[in-house]
Amino acid sequence: MRYLRPDIQLLGLVVINAAILIAAYQIIGARFLSPFNLQSMAGQVPEIGLLALGVTLAMIAGRGGIDLSGIALANLSGICAYLILGPFGDSGFSGTGYLLALMALSVSFGLAGGIVNGVIIGYLGVTSIIATLGTQLLFTGIAVALTGGSAQTLGFIPELDDFANEPVAGMPLSVWLFLGVALCVAAWLRLTRSGQQLYLMGSNVKAARFAGIPSKALLLKVYMIAGAMAGVAGVIIAARTSSLKWDYGTSYVLVAILVAVMAGVRPEGGHGRVICVVLAACALQLLTSFFNFLALSNFLRDFAWGVLLLAFLAVMRVDLSGYWPLRPARDGPD
Amino acid sequence: MKHAKTLMRTTAVAALVAASPAMVFADTREVVTVVKVTGENWFTRMEEGVVAFGEQNDTINARQVGPGRADAAQQVAIVQDLVAQGVDALAIVPMDPSTLEGVLRRARQQGITVITHEAETLENTDINMEAFDNTEFGAHLNSKLAECMGAEGQWTTFVGSVGSLTHMQWAEGGIAHAEANHPGMELVSPFNESFNDANNAYELAREILRTYPDIRGFQGGSAIDVIGIGRAIEEAGLEDSTCVTGIGLPQDTGQFLDSGAVTAIAFWDPKDAGFVMNRLVELALNGEEVTDGMDLGVPGYESVSVTDGPGDGIIVRGQAWVDVDASNWNDFPF
Repeated sequence: MRYLRPDIQLLGLVVINAAILIAAYQIIGARFLSPFNLQSMAGQVPEIGLLALGVTLAMIAGRGGIDLSGIALANLSGICAYLILGPFGDSGFSGTGYLLALMALSVSFGLAGGIVNGVIIGYLGVTSIIATLGTQLLFTGIAVALTGGSAQTLGFIPELDDFANEPVAGMPLSVWLFLGVALCVAAWLRLTRSGQQLYLMGSNVKAARFAGIPSKALLLKVYMIAGAMAGVAGVIIAARTSSLKWDYGTSYVLVAILVAVMAGVRPEGGHGRVICVVLAACALQLLTSFFNFLALSNFLRDFAWGVLLLAFLAVMRVDLSGYWPLRPARDGPD
Repeated sequence: MKHAKTLMRTTAVAALVAASPAMVFADTREVVTVVKVTGENWFTRMEEGVVAFGEQNDTINARQVGPGRADAAQQVAIVQDLVAQGVDALAIVPMDPSTLEGVLRRARQQGITVITHEAETLENTDINMEAFDNTEFGAHLNSKLAECMGAEGQWTTFVGSVGSLTHMQWAEGGIAHAEANHPGMELVSPFNESFNDANNAYELAREILRTYPDIRGFQGGSAIDVIGIGRAIEEAGLEDSTCVTGIGLPQDTGQFLDSGAVTAIAFWDPKDAGFVMNRLVELALNGEEVTDGMDLGVPGYESVSVTDGPGDGIIVRGQAWVDVDASNWNDFPF
């Protein structure tokens, strides 16, 4: 019953993705749609997509929720995992084993960082923008202290490189992993009790508390999931760049928020769909690569992102539901 | 159905029209210079060299791009898109060499020639070009500083970031020189990171002046460090009691050289560096070998030294530094 009305956001994002693809095909030609370029573009989506999903969950939770610590935690998780495992040559693992161990450790550290966020925000009641700004600096600081500020070079590990680049069934494994994670998050939100409670809590925190929804535990869960996704992002970064560094992707903080807002996740909480986040991340990547193909200035790209962000915020302000005929008219004194 | 066919035909024709310019200039080779960040004077000057080279060579289409923000992740994304486009060669000034190893390895597997600048540790490059030996340059900056300070008192070093290899080599070269030759110089709070931002350098310099009121010397790392430090020193009215040396551009630093806030700067001309990188690209594309003592036709690069790099590539070094102070900064038009 909930989705009888068409999701304008979803439709709009599909149209935007298609429009960019068509424009790129017209201007650049078939080169843009070659399997190699499609894989190359897809391979760039997971990092930002995972961080945007984290921001999305924090936003759905309401109370102006946001997660600024995502990329800092991704870098820290990857660095910690690498420092424990040691260089590939000394670790005694096979390539695949090394990748799995790196993933397991990085996700664990991501979870731990998420618990820190969740406890500060959920149990101590600190506003999330302040709390995650603090933990962002904390995570960055730890990463700098552990590495002395220099990059940790992993060297060439074929299995790790393949994970982020070698297409399996059309797309690199990292992309399939991202889609799998997105599917899990969507299922959690849609099918489980706590997922539904999250939307309710985001819509009205006070009502949720009086209705007996366990807000604190729910917030902890949200930031733990966001942290785990940051841990996955850390491994994908390591695989793509063969290195780990504390300041990689500092511009991602804002881009992740942009993706979430483009996807129609309401900053005031209670609303947002995972598929829209995935599509928004794709649209942004298509646009970026399109601009790179056209050899346009990267400032123009920042400008275009800014325009997109404002346009989507403006569209969200327009409430079309009043024009929808199915909605019963309400009368009586206001 | 008929409409769909017409539409497809139109699309196909449009695509052909769009693709045809590329066919006409099929023998022009696409060479892209990727810099750390667009819009900084250093790289604007470098673009002059890239453009000049392109104008002199009909067979090479040379252009320069770079991220709008100094973030290694954005540079990796640009390089990845260029590899997907299938350019013939890349000339790269890496933000952080280790983050590019993965994407450059794939670029070379695709047969793309890779030339780098300021990346002595990078393995996946055909030729890395350095204007000079970095440790010697750091020692040179330090000897200028010591001369001004009378080899006595507290001093500190700035770097763009602790991940910027050349900046660290200059700072460390300077520190080693001071330790070996000037026991009266006391290093305090070394490796301040300006993140290639004059405002950050200014704020940092103000902090340092507050923390160490007796400080006498600053050695800058990023090209804009001396500007920020100079501004802080002018504001504090310490032009006569402090010394500042570092890399910088003459026109940017001129007012501070005149006021005495900055003692002396040295630099290598980014225009020449941009030109020489593209010249090396041309040699590599033509299959010519770069040999010890070779003349690349640009002052300072008339007799280059060639050594083995960390990977299977080579390192080419010139002797291209220029000393500038209040007396001669106006001789340089940039």
